[in-house]
Parts: sequence; C-alpha cells; structure tokens
Amino acid sequence: MLQPAHSETGSDRYLEVVGVGKAFRGTKVMSDLDFRVGQGELVSLLGPSGCGKTTLLRIVAGLTSADRGDVLLDGRAITNVPAHRRNISVVFQNYALFPHLSVAENVAFGLRARGQAKDTTGPSVREALNLVRMADFADRRVSALSGGQQQRVAVARALIVEPVLLLLDEPFSALDRKLRETMQVELKALLRDRDMTAIFVTHDQDEAMGVSDRIAVMNAGRIEQFAAPSTLYAQPETAFVMDFVGLSTRLAGKVTDVAEGELRIETAYGTLRGTGTVPVGARVTLGVRPELIQPQEGENTLEVTLADAMVLGSKTQLHGVAQDNDRLLCEVPGIRTGLARGTRLRFGWSVADTLVYEAEG
Amino acid sequence: MTVTDRVFLILSWAIGLICVVFLLLPIVITVAASFTSSSVYTLPPPEWSLRWYIAATQRSGLWDAVVLSLNLALVSTAVSLVLGTLAAFAITQGSFRGREAIATFTVSPLMMPGLVVGVALLQFFREIGLRDAYWSLLLGHVVITLPFVMRTLLASMASFDFSLVDAARTLGLNYPKAILRVLIPNLAPAYLTGGLFAFLASMDNYPISIFLSDARNKTLPIKILQYLEEQPDPSLAAISSGLILLACIVLIVASRTVGLNRMIQG
Amino acid sequence: MRARGDRIGFLAVPGLAFLAVIYALPLVLLLFRAAQIDGQVSFAEYRLFFTDQYNLNVLWRTLRVAFLTTLLALIIAYPTAIAMARARGIWLSLFLVAMVLPMSVGVVVKAFAWSILFRTRGVLNDILMSLGITEMPIRMLFTETALIIGAANVFLPFMVLPIYAVMRTMDGRLPEAAVTLGAGPYFRFFHVTLPLSLPGVVAGCAFVFSLAISMYVIPSLIVGEQQQTLSMMIARSFLYLRNEALGATISSVLLIIAVAVVLGSSLLAARLGGQR
Repeated sequence: MLQPAHSETGSDRYLEVVGVGKAFRGTKVMSDLDFRVGQGELVSLLGPSGCGKTTLLRIVAGLTSADRGDVLLDGRAITNVPAHRRNISVVFQNYALFPHLSVAENVAFGLRARGQAKDTTGPSVREALNLVRMADFADRRVSALSGGQQQRVAVARALIVEPVLLLLDEPFSALDRKLRETMQVELKALLRDRDMTAIFVTHDQDEAMGVSDRIAVMNAGRIEQFAAPSTLYAQPETAFVMDFVGLSTRLAGKVTDVAEGELRIETAYGTLRGTGTVPVGARVTLGVRPELIQPQEGENTLEVTLADAMVLGSKTQLHGVAQDNDRLLCEVPGIRTGLARGTRLRFGWSVADTLVYEAEG
Repeated sequence: MTVTDRVFLILSWAIGLICVVFLLLPIVITVAASFTSSSVYTLPPPEWSLRWYIAATQRSGLWDAVVLSLNLALVSTAVSLVLGTLAAFAITQGSFRGREAIATFTVSPLMMPGLVVGVALLQFFREIGLRDAYWSLLLGHVVITLPFVMRTLLASMASFDFSLVDAARTLGLNYPKAILRVLIPNLAPAYLTGGLFAFLASMDNYPISIFLSDARNKTLPIKILQYLEEQPDPSLAAISSGLILLACIVLIVASRTVGLNRMIQG
Repeated sequence: MRARGDRIGFLAVPGLAFLAVIYALPLVLLLFRAAQIDGQVSFAEYRLFFTDQYNLNVLWRTLRVAFLTTLLALIIAYPTAIAMARARGIWLSLFLVAMVLPMSVGVVVKAFAWSILFRTRGVLNDILMSLGITEMPIRMLFTETALIIGAANVFLPFMVLPIYAVMRTMDGRLPEAAVTLGAGPYFRFFHVTLPLSLPGVVAGCAFVFSLAISMYVIPSLIVGEQQQTLSMMIARSFLYLRNEALGATISSVLLIIAVAVVLGSSLLAARLGGQR
C-alpha cells in the first residue's frame, strides 16, 4: 500500500493501527491491517457495508478488541486500555443519545463519568451547546429533537470531554440530503477550528470527499488505497477503488502486446491502448472517467449507439451501447440537446487517461 | 371505504364495547355488592351500608393472611427481579447456543398448570426434607413471579439499543457502570410493569400455595376460599373490594409513570 | 466480542439453576413417580386411569370446556383488538383500563364475583326477568355454560392483548396496498389482515387454552364438585381423598397436555414467524 507524503498534517504517526486482525465466530473480517493517521487530520474510512470499516472504528475506540495487532496513540500502545480510559469520543450512527436524560444531561455525561460534580458542569455544557448552536434546547428531552439537532447534541457530547481523537460512525446517514451538506460544512469547520483529529466512517463517497483530507477505501477487510480525494479519483490504484469512487466506464480485455510501455488490449469492441506493467496474456479491466471521454475520435476510439442523453444541469451524460448491453458513459459539459436515440457516435479518449488493472483470479 | 368495510368496523366497535362492559362487570358487581346492608347478595342492595367492611375486619386470621401474602409477594418479586435481570441480560447479550429455548423455558411456568407445579413442589420439598411452610411458599412464589419478570425484561432488553452502553463507555464509564447508569434507567418501565404483574400474580395465587401452606401459614386467596366455604356472607365482597382498591391504586401509580400502553407490552 | 459474549452467559446461571431445581426437576420427578410402582417401571396407574369411564368423562369435559372457553374468548377478542388498534385518546384509555384492571384484580375476586352473578336469585336473573326474557329464575350456577362464560371473562385480556399487539404494529399501508391492487373487503381480510394477525391469535389461543385446561379456582367457585375437571380431581385426591398415586397420575396427564400445548404453539409460532 502506497502512502503519499503528507507535509501539511505533520507527523503521520498520531494514531497507528499496526497489523490488526479480527475474526467473528471463525470468519475473518480483517487481517494484518495497517492504518496511520496524522495529528489534526480529518480522515474517512470509505467502503461498502461489511467491508470492516465499522469494526476498525470499534477497535480504535476500544469497544471491540482485536485478535492480533496493536493500536498506538501518540506513540503509546493503547491496545489494552479499556474504552472508558482512552478518551476517544465516538459519534454513533443514530447518535445513541440517552433517552432518559435531557439534552444538557446528555452533554454533561462524559464530565459526570469522569467524576465531576453535577453543579459544576454548567459552564462547560453551555459552552459545548453554544458551539453547536443548541443552547436553547438544553432542557429538552432528546426524543423531542430533529435528526439534525440530535446530531449536534451528539457532537457536543463527544467534544466536551476534549477527546484525543474523535470517531464518527456514519454521522450523516440519518439526515436528508440538503441538511447533510450543511452539517458536513459546519462540522468540518468546527473540527478544523479545534484542530481535532477525526475519523469518519461512511459508505457515501461524496461525503468522504467533502469532509476529509485523506480517504482510506476499504474492501473485504483490507485498505485498498489511502490517499487524498483528488489522487483517489485521478489515480485509483485498483479496479475496486476506480469503481467505488466516482463513475467510470469499464471494459474487460486481454493484453496481446507490450511495446515501449504501451499495452495493446484486445476487447470485445476492438483493440485499445493503455499504459502499465501488465504481462502479455493477462486478463485486464479497463476504465475511463466519463468526463475524460469526448464524443469524437481520440487515441482510443469506440463505435457506440446512443441509448440515452441525460441532461444533468451542469453537464450532459451520454449513454453509449456497443455490441453488448454494457453502457459506456461520456460526460460533456453544459447542456446538449438534439442528440437523438439511436445515433451512431464515436467515444474517444487518450491513452494516458486509460486506467488498466490486472483482473483478479 | 365500502359499505362492507363500514359494517365490519361498526361491528368491531360494538363487540369491543360489549367486551369492555363484560370485563368490568365482575369488578363493578363486587364493589356494589360489598355496600349492601342485607346479608344475602341482592342487587341493587336494599340499602347502602358499610357493615360488611366492619365485619370483614373482624374475620379471624384475615390480617395474618394479608401480611403473609404481602410478605411473599414483595420478597419473591424482589428475588425475581434480581435473578431475572441477570438471566435476561445473559440471554439477550450472550452468544451461547440455545438462547431461544432457554428464554422459552424461563417463561414456561406461566403456561404450566399451577396445581401440578404445586403437587410437584409438595412432593419434592417433602423428599428433600424442607418442612418450613414459609420457605416452601417463598420458593414456590419465585417460580410464579420469575416468568412475569422474564417476559417483560426479555422483550425490553431485546429492543434496547445497546449502542447507548457503548456511548457511555467511550464517555468514560467502565462496562458494569455503563450498564448500571444507562441500561437500568432506560428499562425502568419494564421493571415497574414486570414487577407489578409479578407482585399481583403472587398475591392472587391459589393453586401452588394451597399445597405448600400449613395451618399457621395461609395466604389471602386460601383464606378467602376458606371463608367462602364456611360463611359466604357479603364481607367477602368487602375483602374483594379491598383487593380491587389495591389494584386500582397500583395501576394509577404505574400508568402515571409508564403509561397504560407500555404496561401491556411484552 | 466473542469472549465477552461467552462470559455473559454465566449471568444466567443463578436464575436457570433456580428454575431447574425448584421447577423442572420436581415436574420430572412427578412424571417418573407416576410411571412406576415400588421402583418398577409401570404404566398400571395410567391404565387404571384411562379405563375408568368417569375419568375419561372428566378428561373430555376439561378439554371441551377449555376449547369452548378459548373459542368464546377469541370471538370476542378479535373484533375488540381491531377496534382497539384504531382507538385513540380517551377510547384507547378505556380499552386499556378494561384490560389491565381485570388482569390486576386476580382470579379469586373475579371468580367470586361470577358466583354472585350466576346465583339463582342473582343479578343476571333479575335482569333477564325484568326484561321479560324469562319468567322464572334460571339455574345458572353449577352449569357448564356458566363456567365457560366466567372463564372466558377471566382469560379474555390474555386473548385480546397479543392480537392487539400484532394489529397495532401492522403496517397500515399493507391493507391500503391491497386496496390499490383491487382487493375487496373480504379478500383483504382473509388474505392480508388475518394472516398477518395469526401470530397474535396463536399466542393468545395457546395461552388461554393452557390456562383453561388447568384452571381450578374458577370451576370450584362456579360449578362446584358436581362437575369435576382434571384440576379439581387433582386437588380432591390430594387434599381430601389422600390418594397421592391417583393425584400424581392425573397431574402428569394434565402436565403432558400442557407441555404439548406449549410445544405445539411455539412450533406453530415459529412456522408463522418463518413465513415472513
């Protein structure tokens, strides 16, 4: 796994997860996983459900113990420190606010748990609620709050104890789209202000790209790639990352010739060219980002029939169909009208924009 | 909505209201009969009077029976709440095999014939040499109360969101403390209703108690049936009204704190 | 969490050990005792029981009364649960009070109340006569009909509540979806509402039936000694006849029926649950 250097965020060794393995009832969910986060960094664990991202989060929080490996914080091993002594706060999916306590009592919970007397928590609670603009709701019952308000209370409850690390498990999944975007911006600013190190768990790539400095794409208990959002999008290291992050047009093929670093790949649609270090005879997966395809001849060209032209506002998406039913996507900026279904088109793109991955198995 | 739908619905409401009257009838009758001045049960009473309430308090051995019944109900419910909490927690949170079957086993006394359990306990206690009537009754009453507690606790723990406990742990409480400060307060309604119905079931039990009591340890239901055989005058309606009043008080308190709708869950 | 999950299991030990020793073991011993004479395995006691026509009559009466009680309770409870699931506010409170209060009052008081009601010079006859339905008071106490009415009354909440619980959580959109698919009221009831409420019906029937086969206080106050049930025979053989062998045999017969009801109903419930 490659790790790009990170000068902005200083040391890359604030949180270190080293060689962690975990099995549930004999089924391995992760093995020998390494993961490092720098101080003040906002990081996302992105992956489909069941990829192990929540398990990794719970291992870091101390809620689940790993079978093997170590968790280090600021150079100190915390593998055997119980959850309540780690000072790592978690914003849970659905927030896990205590229904038997008021908003203020929920926020004060961490302080009370640390032995602070009830009548001395007032100022800190007010400050924390102010921070998330929920001061007017201090005496409400949590069941009377909307989803967005509950999230703010959960954030206040997590931050009041000044945690060394903040973990957020799908924090936006219960909110509707509009509110989600607002809360992402708000929360990101809040965490930046406080120089908080935070790890988000999410299955939503837009969310991950919006809130984080770096994204770890997880699949089947492994981290496929850990990089800045732009790197992840432009240079996905595996076919899985290419598929999971952003749209792509995908073709299957076989390498027939390698010459001067350039591959000739035989596909069902004809011969295409790409770059990479794949041996002759290997089965490969080809991919292209739709906005890099032009509806005209290029270094690589495919003949397609237009199946649909979807106007999406800032761009128009062209769906081309070649011999089989796979749809090839091409995105052109602006609004294009007058493209009739059934029109024969050429999709063209450059060799450099062709992503090539050796097919598994 | 079609005509058939409408007829169907009106019929449901009609039967529902008849059902309400039917259910409340025996209670109303008992209370009305207790205020009669006559020495036979006629309704409406020829004259209202409190004479049978006074007569009831003078029945021999009534107070001893009330005290014994309250004692058994309180102690057995308390024991059941402790045993039930541990068992329900283990069954809903544990990962051992056969949890479903074990859960069914713990609530099964509800559906077993009381007399048979009573007979079995009588013979068993005799065999192991347990002669003390109070201890026999107490053990028997834990068998009566435990399934009521288990039923409500299993249901409410199964629907409890255990990420609340995780949240408490990340905020600085160790596991036992997190359970105590988060699980228990959130299950308070379940404790109240489970404990309440357990208590009332113990107060009301006849079939098990009759085999385990002796001449000096008679519970209230046994005493009432005995009075009924010896001298069935309206003072029995007065004693019954007293029990109805107790049930009403307990219910008002419970419905104020947890609400009637929650009480019938589980 | 595996280690913790396994360790948590030990918390069940006190409660389970208690029930195993003070509930399951005595019942098992009872079954064994009824199937042996002087240490020898023998079903003679059972043979004796099942060859006596009187006993068979009692067994048949017990089952018949339990079945009819369950049926009567179901007929009243099902529409009541439908109305209750639609009730709001004060009406819902009325229904809930009518369920919870009788449940809290106890069998002894209610059975006693019914014995007042069913007396020859009792309230019901007064009402019937004042309505002109009958001219002479009818003898109701000590009849099987009286027993079934009284028992259905006592057990009714246990039938209504499980059905109500299912009805209330039923997705209201399902019958609506059926309407949009062209289902008429009868089709809708028999193909949507009834199948969905079946788990509640099974739970209620099993519970009421098992209470009704083993009831003792209600029949002894409403029908008395003339018409015995299994429970009354058990009580009589232990408390008056001092014939423990007979009592133990009848007890084990009743126990086997009760266990069969519990197992049968939970199998049925599992199958119904598995369908969805």
